[in-house]
Amino acid sequence: MARVLVAMSGGVDSSVAAALLVRQGYDVVGVTMKLFEDGAELPDRPCCSLDATSDARRVAEQLGIPHYVLNMIDHFGRDVIADFVAEYTRGRTPIPCVRCNTFTKFSDLVAKADGIDAQYVATGHYARAVAGELHRGADDNKDQTYFLWGINRDVVKRLLLPVGEMTKTETRALARELQLPRVADKAESQEICFVPDGDYVQILRRELGDDAPALSPGRIVTTTGDVVGEHEGYARYTIGQRRGLPGGSADPMYVVALRPETREVVVGPREALLGTRLSASGVNWLVDTPPRVGDEVQVRIRHRAPLAPAVVEAITGGAVSVTLHAPVSAITPGQSAVLYDGTRVLGGGFID
Amino acid sequence: MPQLPIYLDHAATTPVRPEVLEALLPYFSAKFGNASSTHRWGREARAATDAARERIAACLGANADEICLTSGGTEADNLAVLGGWRVQQANGRPGIVSTPIEHKAVLESVHQAKREGGDERLVGIDAVGTVNLDSARQHIRGDVALVSVMWVNNETGVIQPVAELAAIAREAGAIFHTDAVQAFGKLDVDAKQIPFDFLSVSGHKFGAPKSIGAVFVRRGTPLAPLFFGGSQDRGRRPGTENTPMAVALATAMELALKERDAEVARLRALRDRLEGALVAAVPGLVVHGRDAPRVPHILHFSVPNADSESLLMALDLAGVAASSGSACQSGSVTPSHVLSAMGLPPELGASAVRLSVGKLSTEEQMDRVAQLFPGVVQSARAMGGRF
Repeated sequence: MARVLVAMSGGVDSSVAAALLVRQGYDVVGVTMKLFEDGAELPDRPCCSLDATSDARRVAEQLGIPHYVLNMIDHFGRDVIADFVAEYTRGRTPIPCVRCNTFTKFSDLVAKADGIDAQYVATGHYARAVAGELHRGADDNKDQTYFLWGINRDVVKRLLLPVGEMTKTETRALARELQLPRVADKAESQEICFVPDGDYVQILRRELGDDAPALSPGRIVTTTGDVVGEHEGYARYTIGQRRGLPGGSADPMYVVALRPETREVVVGPREALLGTRLSASGVNWLVDTPPRVGDEVQVRIRHRAPLAPAVVEAITGGAVSVTLHAPVSAITPGQSAVLYDGTRVLGGGFID
Repeated sequence: MPQLPIYLDHAATTPVRPEVLEALLPYFSAKFGNASSTHRWGREARAATDAARERIAACLGANADEICLTSGGTEADNLAVLGGWRVQQANGRPGIVSTPIEHKAVLESVHQAKREGGDERLVGIDAVGTVNLDSARQHIRGDVALVSVMWVNNETGVIQPVAELAAIAREAGAIFHTDAVQAFGKLDVDAKQIPFDFLSVSGHKFGAPKSIGAVFVRRGTPLAPLFFGGSQDRGRRPGTENTPMAVALATAMELALKERDAEVARLRALRDRLEGALVAAVPGLVVHGRDAPRVPHILHFSVPNADSESLLMALDLAGVAASSGSACQSGSVTPSHVLSAMGLPPELGASAVRLSVGKLSTEEQMDRVAQLFPGVVQSARAMGGRF
């Protein structure tokens, strides 16, 4: 039977994925990726901690499959964490899960699969690989294709995503049925795995130092150029944010832009967040025939945001521009724009 | 039909020998008494425990009162290093001398002594993997409380000059401890021959269960306990005595000694056969400790352009149980501190594999491993991906 390398985080989704593959008769090899040093500051992480690794190992032992811990700290630090920090210094809001999938899970890990002659690579993602193309997962609330657009197309042909056909509720029920009670009721891992308590500024301070420009005081200005206050570092802000802004104006103010070159945080009324045009670079297509100018597509601009109908305006080199049929709020540089045709993922890029 | 997996990690642990299991079982059932009790159950356990202590002592050229039983090698090392250093430090000797290639049980105890005010000095290591005696002489001075140097390095299998070191320490008035966890059963470990003051052994390295070890404490050598409680083991190691495990350790030690010469010859032949085949099969393979005296059961080497983690994974998938020599709790492999102390470049330190032969090993297994190893290397190199 064909061999499959399954990435096991110790959580319910990848545990059930591994169990299903065993049940389907594959020669399953489980691995847990160690992506960063989990010091004392991350005691109860749902993934990547020593506890999570132990859970993965116990599930693997229960399933009767071999399991290994792969130290990928160097590559993850270089490809994901360093970029995460650099994006904030550029006044953008990064999305590290995309780069982790592109570089770590579906590149470095695929090399491991090649090494052990595993034809397939499996994860617990809510997405579907059908006939060499990537489709949204059956559970609309859990769909994770927003994070998967950057992976190598050749890898899609080798992907097995067993829980992509199920809803989260079904996955949890199946975990109980498969006698995996340890993981069945585990909490969701929502946050960025290497950011403790959602406090990404802590990571920036560690990597950049407290006196880095991105963390130094600057002016808060309106779109018309009035100075309305001071901030403690533009990297603490993201487009659409209200928290941390001075009050006192008649209408609530939102961050509408970041200007790293002058360290300015630009604020404006809610309407200033609305936009219909976006362009994305670093584009990766996951289909044989990418869309052409004038094609109708659906676009997602952040995880779990509704799909927005749009038309393709321009495609040049690694960039794509689209116009949305209705305005959306807070199109945020650094986040992903993912293009869909129904459930099919056409491709995506990073918003500029 | 798939072939049976091959266990080549005897330096990590060994199967409990049937004779040992048979000897200890009565003390887990009918003879369950507490050796400190005065009634018949107690007397029965006392007799067995004392007899075990005598038998263990005999295997080390020691007296029964010089044997302190512990929960294993780590406790034995902690007790010896910290117990010896603390007493001597109180007498105005803050120095503690060890080496960078010790097992973590010793190294971390030495670091603990440093945190308690100790003057930590680590002796230099030669490229072949042995302690540099000139460096040792420079460090071991009149202010040193304790010197701890392992008899055999657990990664490379290199034998350290403990007789010379013990003599240097004695001359300086320092206690000399040696971790003999990988030495016992392979080398002549005799307290009458070599003037070590403390020596640690661990039962599961030679056929006893896990969680039993011992420290030899030479008569007259001061030792502060780590634990406080009853007066068991002369107060050196309070706590209800573990009669079944004491019996197990004694039985395993006697067996290991009785079979030592024949087993050493057998293991050396197996190891050398494997080593020769691997060196021939994999160009550039670097055998560690090859130019130093080595124990017969350990083969430690690095494979250029392949990392330990991938090699171990590929070996395991091919049915061969091995180790890098140093593993952390999460199961991920860290580069060897021993190899870096020997001055090896980091890329070789991160590509090390330790194969250790023992009771379960056969000639046929060596040939099978040699045959599949080039494929393992190819696998591991492919796993490196886009380096």
